[in-house]
Amino acid sequence: MADPTPTAPPPATHDAGEPIAEHRSRMRVTIDTVLRNRLAVIGLVVLALLVLAAIFGPTIAPYDINDINIADRLQGLSSSHWFGTDELGRDVFSRVLVGARVSLTVGFIAVGIAVVIGVPIGLVSGFYGGATDSWLMRLMDILFSLPAILLAIAILAVLGPGIVNAMIAIGIVYTPIFARITRGSVLTVKESVFVRAARSLGATDTRILRSHILPNVVAPIIVQTSLSLAFAILAEAALSFLGLGVQPPEPAWGRMLSEGRGFFQQAPWMAIFPGLAIVITVMAFNFVGDGLRDALDPQQRSVIESRGVG
Amino acid sequence: MTGPVLKVDDLSVSFGTRTGRAMVVNDVSYEIGASETLAIVGESGSGKSVSSLALLQLLPVPPARVAGRAEFGGGDLLSMPDPEIRAVRGNRIAMIFQDPMTSLNPVRTIGYQLMEPLRMHMGMDKAAARARSIELLELVGIPSADERMDDYPQQFSGGMRQRVMIAMGISCEPDLLIADEATTALDVTTQAQIIEEIKQLQDRMGLALIWITHDLGVVAGIADRVVVLYGGAIMEEAAIDLLFDDPRHPYTRALLESLPVPGMDRPRRLQAIPGLPPDPVHLPAGCPFAPRCAYAQDICTSERPALTFPLEGHGVACHFDPEVFDG
Repeated sequence: MADPTPTAPPPATHDAGEPIAEHRSRMRVTIDTVLRNRLAVIGLVVLALLVLAAIFGPTIAPYDINDINIADRLQGLSSSHWFGTDELGRDVFSRVLVGARVSLTVGFIAVGIAVVIGVPIGLVSGFYGGATDSWLMRLMDILFSLPAILLAIAILAVLGPGIVNAMIAIGIVYTPIFARITRGSVLTVKESVFVRAARSLGATDTRILRSHILPNVVAPIIVQTSLSLAFAILAEAALSFLGLGVQPPEPAWGRMLSEGRGFFQQAPWMAIFPGLAIVITVMAFNFVGDGLRDALDPQQRSVIESRGVG
Repeated sequence: MTGPVLKVDDLSVSFGTRTGRAMVVNDVSYEIGASETLAIVGESGSGKSVSSLALLQLLPVPPARVAGRAEFGGGDLLSMPDPEIRAVRGNRIAMIFQDPMTSLNPVRTIGYQLMEPLRMHMGMDKAAARARSIELLELVGIPSADERMDDYPQQFSGGMRQRVMIAMGISCEPDLLIADEATTALDVTTQAQIIEEIKQLQDRMGLALIWITHDLGVVAGIADRVVVLYGGAIMEEAAIDLLFDDPRHPYTRALLESLPVPGMDRPRRLQAIPGLPPDPVHLPAGCPFAPRCAYAQDICTSERPALTFPLEGHGVACHFDPEVFDG
């Protein structure tokens, strides 16, 4: 790695050698850092279990989720009904297990929508600046200024309740977060010398955005994605709780919570277990998100993560 | 030499600022032929970088405003529409920037970045671009080029990165290479190597080279002709030997006196130029150097001297003959 001329080798070797020691692929470093974080590992394990539950829930559940058995209604915890039964005698454990599918699906698709709309808005806004930036960001500010759950309810009021519309609503609500985070990073990256160098080599705007700027702003976006998943799941639970999300008899944690509320005196397990499921899922996503942030983006601590639900 | 590669006429660049219009480059004209090396020398803020960025339309407009002409390959660089100027950038005119640590994208491999202009301008496919990139790396003196293609910029030292930048710059065999303080951030040994390599490439490719720097020592080693910029205007323009042996402008003289001369019998005190460079928002009405000039007269503060060529190929923008200063 040394310069070819005999005068230079000592400084050159030193120069070139040092970075190599620290260099492994960025992916590798990220994974190692995350795996050293105990909470992040716990979060990952929980998420893996949840994904399994979401995929295989209906097949491994001990009871059919819509199996009504009035004789066994409001049964407490037992070896045959681990989480008890609800007011129609349905097995709460089976319903919580299957409910993972709704929560995760809604979470991923809603955040997916937010990323797909928000990131390009942020890229264009940050890169071109000027009037484009003003208009797009004002639009995002308007969305951002409304309380999340209120905005979601308003959107659902227009689109009508239902799981698909809930995903769209949550997606729209979280779009400004991604637009802002992306824009902020683009503003920094676009001033880099390498962007000017790429332009001086004849690259088009599209090319500069796609192959030079985007790869340099993914870290904060990934971090925000994992944190937003937690909020999206919480939002879905809230919407379902209000009867605007998943419609019965489909089991969703928020909906089960709302149904269990009426029986809290006689059968607290009806509400406690879906509630616990929500808490555990949200915490798992937050742990993973924090771990990713420490690994990818140490400076970006506690940016817009305050935007909870309602 | 068959006509100049680039002919710049009355290039002016100004920026709108809150306090007024900053006149950063004022009526700069020069030309450069094939295989020729033109050094543009000036201190920070003299407009040397801005004038070259303007050539490739790399300044944000607004706030920048660019006027003048820059004839290159039968067209005017300054008024070319976007697709045309893009086809010139990196292809027929390439630029190398000052800071090798930041001029490469940290998340892309060296290979990817080298192949980019080849694929954009020469329409090469991946395999051809890769093969050519390896050749280029070898050409600029990077050992085991094949393996290093898949390395990231942070695995390269500063000198190596600047070599990669040079490889990128010459990849499409441009007619003109603009090196903007290309060796300033490097240590002296590496600087000498890079300059040597660029000179070899220039001989091999018949490249015209514009070398922008504040370092007269580097200029002495590389340039054929020198343009001295001050306050965004040309103070003096001459062949390298003429400039060093017979500087005619007080600014050039002051500049040379501020340099140590190796091999001098009796060490002399280095002369600093008193005062500060002019504020481009409030340029003096007369000669921009007048406020700092030891020989300034009334006319210097009221009337701006034009660049005239009292001797063939030696231009000076001063109201007085240099004999006045010697007397």
